[in-house]
Amino acid sequence: MLVTALAAAVVAAWAAWRTVRDRPVVLRQLVASGVVEALLLVQVFVGLVSVARGSGPADGATYWGYLVTTLFVLPVAAAWAFAERTRWSSVVLLVAAVTVVFLQFRVVQVWSGA
Amino acid sequence: MSAPQADTGGRTASGPGRALVAVYGVLAVAATFRSGVQVLRDFGAAPVAYSLSAFAAVVYVVATLALARAGGRARRVAWVAVGIEAVGVLVVGTLSVVRPDLFPDATVWSAFGAGYGFVPLVLPALGLWWLARGRGGRPAPAERPDR
Repeated sequence: MLVTALAAAVVAAWAAWRTVRDRPVVLRQLVASGVVEALLLVQVFVGLVSVARGSGPADGATYWGYLVTTLFVLPVAAAWAFAERTRWSSVVLLVAAVTVVFLQFRVVQVWSGA
Repeated sequence: MSAPQADTGGRTASGPGRALVAVYGVLAVAATFRSGVQVLRDFGAAPVAYSLSAFAAVVYVVATLALARAGGRARRVAWVAVGIEAVGVLVVGTLSVVRPDLFPDATVWSAFGAGYGFVPLVLPALGLWWLARGRGGRPAPAERPDR
Protein backbone atom coordinates (compact mmCIF):
# COMPACT_ATOMS: atom_id res chain seq x y z
CA MET A 1 0.00 0.00 0.00
CA LEU A 2 2.84 2.32 0.84
CA VAL A 3 4.55 1.34 -2.41
CA THR A 4 1.42 2.24 -4.38
CA ALA A 5 1.11 5.60 -2.63
CA LEU A 6 4.78 6.35 -3.30
CA ALA A 7 4.49 5.37 -6.95
CA ALA A 8 1.41 7.58 -7.34
CA ALA A 9 3.29 10.41 -5.61
CA VAL A 10 6.08 10.05 -8.18
CA VAL A 11 3.52 10.25 -11.02
CA ALA A 12 2.04 13.34 -9.32
CA ALA A 13 5.41 15.03 -8.98
CA TRP A 14 6.24 14.26 -12.61
CA ALA A 15 2.91 15.69 -13.76
CA ALA A 16 3.47 18.78 -11.59
CA TRP A 17 6.87 19.28 -13.17
CA ARG A 18 5.44 19.06 -16.67
CA THR A 19 2.64 21.43 -15.70
CA VAL A 20 5.18 24.01 -14.57
CA ARG A 21 7.09 23.56 -17.80
CA ASP A 22 3.85 23.96 -19.80
CA ARG A 23 4.05 20.51 -21.36
CA PRO A 24 1.35 17.91 -22.02
CA VAL A 25 1.42 14.37 -20.68
CA VAL A 26 3.78 12.05 -22.61
CA LEU A 27 3.56 8.32 -23.09
CA ARG A 28 6.24 7.55 -20.52
CA GLN A 29 4.05 9.14 -17.85
CA LEU A 30 1.19 6.92 -18.89
CA VAL A 31 3.51 3.90 -18.56
CA ALA A 32 4.31 5.07 -15.02
CA SER A 33 0.57 5.43 -14.37
CA GLY A 34 0.20 1.89 -15.69
CA VAL A 35 2.68 0.71 -13.05
CA VAL A 36 0.57 2.38 -10.35
CA GLU A 37 -2.50 0.74 -11.84
CA ALA A 38 -0.78 -2.67 -11.73
CA LEU A 39 0.11 -2.11 -8.06
CA LEU A 40 -3.53 -1.30 -7.38
CA LEU A 41 -4.59 -4.53 -9.07
CA VAL A 42 -2.12 -6.42 -6.84
CA GLN A 43 -3.80 -4.72 -3.92
CA VAL A 44 -7.21 -5.87 -5.11
CA PHE A 45 -5.88 -9.41 -5.44
CA VAL A 46 -4.30 -9.38 -1.95
CA GLY A 47 -7.53 -7.97 -0.55
CA LEU A 48 -9.60 -10.71 -2.17
CA VAL A 49 -7.25 -13.41 -0.84
CA SER A 50 -7.48 -11.91 2.67
CA VAL A 51 -11.25 -11.89 2.50
CA ALA A 52 -11.23 -15.51 1.31
CA ARG A 53 -9.07 -16.38 4.31
CA GLY A 54 -11.46 -14.57 6.63
CA SER A 55 -9.11 -11.74 7.57
CA GLY A 56 -10.44 -8.99 5.34
CA PRO A 57 -10.70 -5.25 5.96
CA ALA A 58 -12.45 -3.96 9.07
CA ASP A 59 -15.02 -2.10 6.97
CA GLY A 60 -15.57 -4.11 3.80
CA ALA A 61 -17.98 -1.86 1.88
CA THR A 62 -15.90 1.25 2.41
CA TYR A 63 -12.65 -0.53 1.62
CA TRP A 64 -13.84 -1.97 -1.68
CA GLY A 65 -15.61 1.27 -2.55
CA TYR A 66 -12.38 3.20 -2.22
CA LEU A 67 -10.25 0.63 -3.96
CA VAL A 68 -12.54 0.09 -6.95
CA THR A 69 -12.98 3.88 -7.31
CA THR A 70 -9.20 4.29 -7.26
CA LEU A 71 -8.89 1.87 -10.17
CA PHE A 72 -10.86 4.22 -12.44
CA VAL A 73 -9.06 7.47 -11.66
CA LEU A 74 -5.84 7.06 -13.64
CA PRO A 75 -7.39 5.48 -16.77
CA VAL A 76 -9.77 8.44 -17.08
CA ALA A 77 -6.86 10.87 -16.74
CA ALA A 78 -4.94 8.87 -19.34
CA ALA A 79 -7.85 9.00 -21.78
CA TRP A 80 -8.00 12.77 -21.35
CA ALA A 81 -4.27 13.02 -21.89
CA PHE A 82 -4.84 11.78 -25.43
CA ALA A 83 -7.67 14.24 -26.08
CA GLU A 84 -6.03 17.27 -24.53
CA ARG A 85 -2.59 17.97 -25.90
CA THR A 86 -1.84 20.99 -23.71
CA ARG A 87 -0.35 21.47 -20.27
CA TRP A 88 -3.83 20.94 -18.86
CA SER A 89 -3.53 17.22 -19.44
CA SER A 90 -0.61 17.40 -16.99
CA VAL A 91 -2.86 19.18 -14.49
CA VAL A 92 -5.47 16.45 -14.90
CA LEU A 93 -2.87 13.73 -14.35
CA LEU A 94 -1.60 15.65 -11.32
CA VAL A 95 -5.11 15.79 -9.86
CA ALA A 96 -5.65 12.09 -10.60
CA ALA A 97 -2.35 10.98 -9.04
CA VAL A 98 -2.89 13.11 -5.92
CA THR A 99 -6.35 11.56 -5.64
CA VAL A 100 -4.82 8.08 -5.78
CA VAL A 101 -2.32 9.00 -3.04
CA PHE A 102 -5.13 10.33 -0.86
CA LEU A 103 -7.34 7.31 -1.50
CA GLN A 104 -4.43 5.03 -0.62
CA PHE A 105 -4.18 6.66 2.79
CA ARG A 106 -7.90 6.18 3.28
CA VAL A 107 -7.63 2.55 2.13
CA VAL A 108 -4.91 1.91 4.73
CA GLN A 109 -6.99 3.59 7.44
CA VAL A 110 -10.12 1.65 6.53
CA TRP A 111 -8.23 -1.64 6.39
CA SER A 112 -7.07 -1.24 9.98
CA GLY A 113 -10.49 0.04 11.03
CA ALA A 114 -9.63 3.67 11.77
CA MET B 1 -0.85 32.36 -20.57
CA SER B 2 -0.26 29.81 -23.27
CA ALA B 3 -1.69 30.00 -26.76
CA PRO B 4 -3.85 26.83 -26.70
CA GLN B 5 -6.01 28.47 -24.06
CA ALA B 6 -7.11 31.21 -26.41
CA ASP B 7 -8.79 28.97 -28.96
CA THR B 8 -10.84 26.95 -26.50
CA GLY B 9 -13.60 29.44 -27.28
CA GLY B 10 -16.98 28.62 -25.83
CA ARG B 11 -16.17 25.07 -24.86
CA THR B 12 -16.12 24.62 -21.11
CA ALA B 13 -14.51 21.20 -21.12
CA SER B 14 -11.19 21.77 -22.83
CA GLY B 15 -7.98 23.34 -21.65
CA PRO B 16 -8.17 24.52 -18.05
CA GLY B 17 -11.82 23.49 -18.05
CA ARG B 18 -10.76 19.90 -18.38
CA ALA B 19 -8.72 20.18 -15.19
CA LEU B 20 -11.72 21.76 -13.50
CA VAL B 21 -14.00 18.95 -14.65
CA ALA B 22 -11.45 16.44 -13.35
CA VAL B 23 -11.46 17.93 -9.85
CA TYR B 24 -15.25 18.19 -9.94
CA GLY B 25 -15.47 14.57 -11.01
CA VAL B 26 -13.30 13.42 -8.12
CA LEU B 27 -15.35 15.44 -5.65
CA ALA B 28 -18.63 14.21 -7.15
CA VAL B 29 -17.57 10.59 -6.81
CA ALA B 30 -16.23 11.14 -3.29
CA ALA B 31 -19.38 12.94 -2.15
CA THR B 32 -21.70 10.41 -3.79
CA PHE B 33 -19.91 7.47 -2.25
CA ARG B 34 -19.71 9.01 1.19
CA SER B 35 -23.33 10.12 1.31
CA GLY B 36 -24.40 6.75 -0.04
CA VAL B 37 -22.70 4.98 2.86
CA GLN B 38 -24.03 7.53 5.36
CA VAL B 39 -27.62 7.38 4.17
CA LEU B 40 -27.77 3.60 3.76
CA ARG B 41 -25.97 2.75 6.97
CA ASP B 42 -27.18 5.13 9.65
CA PHE B 43 -29.51 7.77 8.29
CA GLY B 44 -31.28 8.14 11.64
CA ALA B 45 -28.14 9.27 13.45
CA ALA B 46 -27.95 12.62 11.66
CA PRO B 47 -30.79 13.09 9.15
CA VAL B 48 -30.03 16.75 8.45
CA ALA B 49 -26.32 16.24 7.85
CA TYR B 50 -26.84 13.11 5.74
CA SER B 51 -29.62 14.61 3.63
CA LEU B 52 -27.35 17.54 3.00
CA SER B 53 -24.52 15.20 2.04
CA ALA B 54 -26.77 13.48 -0.47
CA PHE B 55 -27.98 16.80 -1.85
CA ALA B 56 -24.41 18.08 -2.16
CA ALA B 57 -23.43 14.89 -3.95
CA VAL B 58 -26.22 15.33 -6.52
CA VAL B 59 -25.22 18.95 -7.10
CA TYR B 60 -21.60 17.95 -7.67
CA VAL B 61 -22.59 15.26 -10.15
CA VAL B 62 -24.83 17.72 -12.03
CA ALA B 63 -22.09 20.36 -12.02
CA THR B 64 -19.52 17.87 -13.31
CA LEU B 65 -21.74 16.72 -16.16
CA ALA B 66 -22.82 20.25 -17.07
CA LEU B 67 -19.25 21.53 -17.10
CA ALA B 68 -18.15 18.59 -19.20
CA ARG B 69 -20.74 19.28 -21.89
CA ALA B 70 -20.59 22.05 -24.39
CA GLY B 71 -23.60 24.19 -25.28
CA GLY B 72 -25.74 26.96 -23.90
CA ARG B 73 -28.13 24.83 -21.89
CA ALA B 74 -25.37 22.86 -20.16
CA ARG B 75 -23.71 26.16 -19.36
CA ARG B 76 -26.85 27.49 -17.68
CA VAL B 77 -27.19 24.28 -15.69
CA ALA B 78 -23.54 24.61 -14.70
CA TRP B 79 -24.14 28.18 -13.53
CA VAL B 80 -26.99 27.05 -11.28
CA ALA B 81 -25.18 24.00 -9.91
CA VAL B 82 -21.93 25.82 -9.21
CA GLY B 83 -23.93 28.71 -7.71
CA ILE B 84 -25.73 26.31 -5.35
CA GLU B 85 -22.36 24.93 -4.31
CA ALA B 86 -20.98 28.38 -3.58
CA VAL B 87 -24.02 29.26 -1.46
CA GLY B 88 -24.06 25.81 0.14
CA VAL B 89 -20.46 25.79 1.25
CA LEU B 90 -20.76 29.32 2.67
CA VAL B 91 -24.08 28.80 4.48
CA VAL B 92 -23.40 25.28 5.75
CA GLY B 93 -19.80 26.16 6.53
CA THR B 94 -20.90 29.09 8.65
CA LEU B 95 -23.70 27.14 10.33
CA SER B 96 -21.44 24.21 11.15
CA VAL B 97 -19.11 26.58 12.97
CA VAL B 98 -21.80 28.67 14.71
CA ARG B 99 -24.26 25.85 15.49
CA PRO B 100 -22.26 22.59 15.57
CA ASP B 101 -25.19 20.86 17.31
CA LEU B 102 -27.08 20.93 13.99
CA PHE B 103 -24.44 18.73 12.41
CA PRO B 104 -23.54 15.73 14.58
CA ASP B 105 -21.63 14.28 11.67
CA ALA B 106 -19.63 16.09 9.01
CA THR B 107 -20.86 16.89 5.50
CA VAL B 108 -18.78 17.87 2.49
CA TRP B 109 -19.54 21.49 3.27
CA SER B 110 -18.88 21.41 7.04
CA ALA B 111 -16.31 23.93 8.27
CA PHE B 112 -16.04 25.27 4.69
CA GLY B 113 -14.92 21.90 3.38
CA ALA B 114 -11.94 21.55 5.72
CA GLY B 115 -12.32 17.75 5.61
CA TYR B 116 -11.64 17.90 1.87
CA GLY B 117 -8.70 20.27 2.04
CA PHE B 118 -11.02 23.27 1.45
CA VAL B 119 -11.47 22.08 -2.12
CA PRO B 120 -15.29 22.52 -1.83
CA LEU B 121 -14.70 26.19 -0.96
CA VAL B 122 -12.21 26.93 -3.72
CA LEU B 123 -13.92 24.93 -6.45
CA PRO B 124 -17.14 26.98 -6.85
CA ALA B 125 -15.05 30.14 -7.02
CA LEU B 126 -12.94 28.63 -9.79
CA GLY B 127 -16.05 27.25 -11.47
CA LEU B 128 -17.86 30.59 -11.50
CA TRP B 129 -14.75 32.34 -12.73
CA TRP B 130 -14.32 29.84 -15.52
CA LEU B 131 -17.95 30.09 -16.58
CA ALA B 132 -17.89 33.89 -16.50
CA ARG B 133 -14.67 34.00 -18.45
CA GLY B 134 -15.91 31.73 -21.21
CA ARG B 135 -19.18 33.57 -21.71
CA GLY B 136 -17.83 35.85 -24.41
CA GLY B 137 -17.20 32.97 -26.80
CA ARG B 138 -20.36 31.60 -28.39
CA PRO B 139 -20.60 27.87 -27.74
CA ALA B 140 -20.79 26.83 -31.39
CA PRO B 141 -19.67 23.39 -32.55
CA ALA B 142 -17.91 24.99 -35.50
CA GLU B 143 -15.61 26.71 -33.08
CA ARG B 144 -13.85 23.53 -32.09
CA PRO B 145 -10.12 24.13 -32.06
CA ASP B 146 -8.21 22.52 -34.90
CA ARG B 147 -6.52 19.33 -33.84
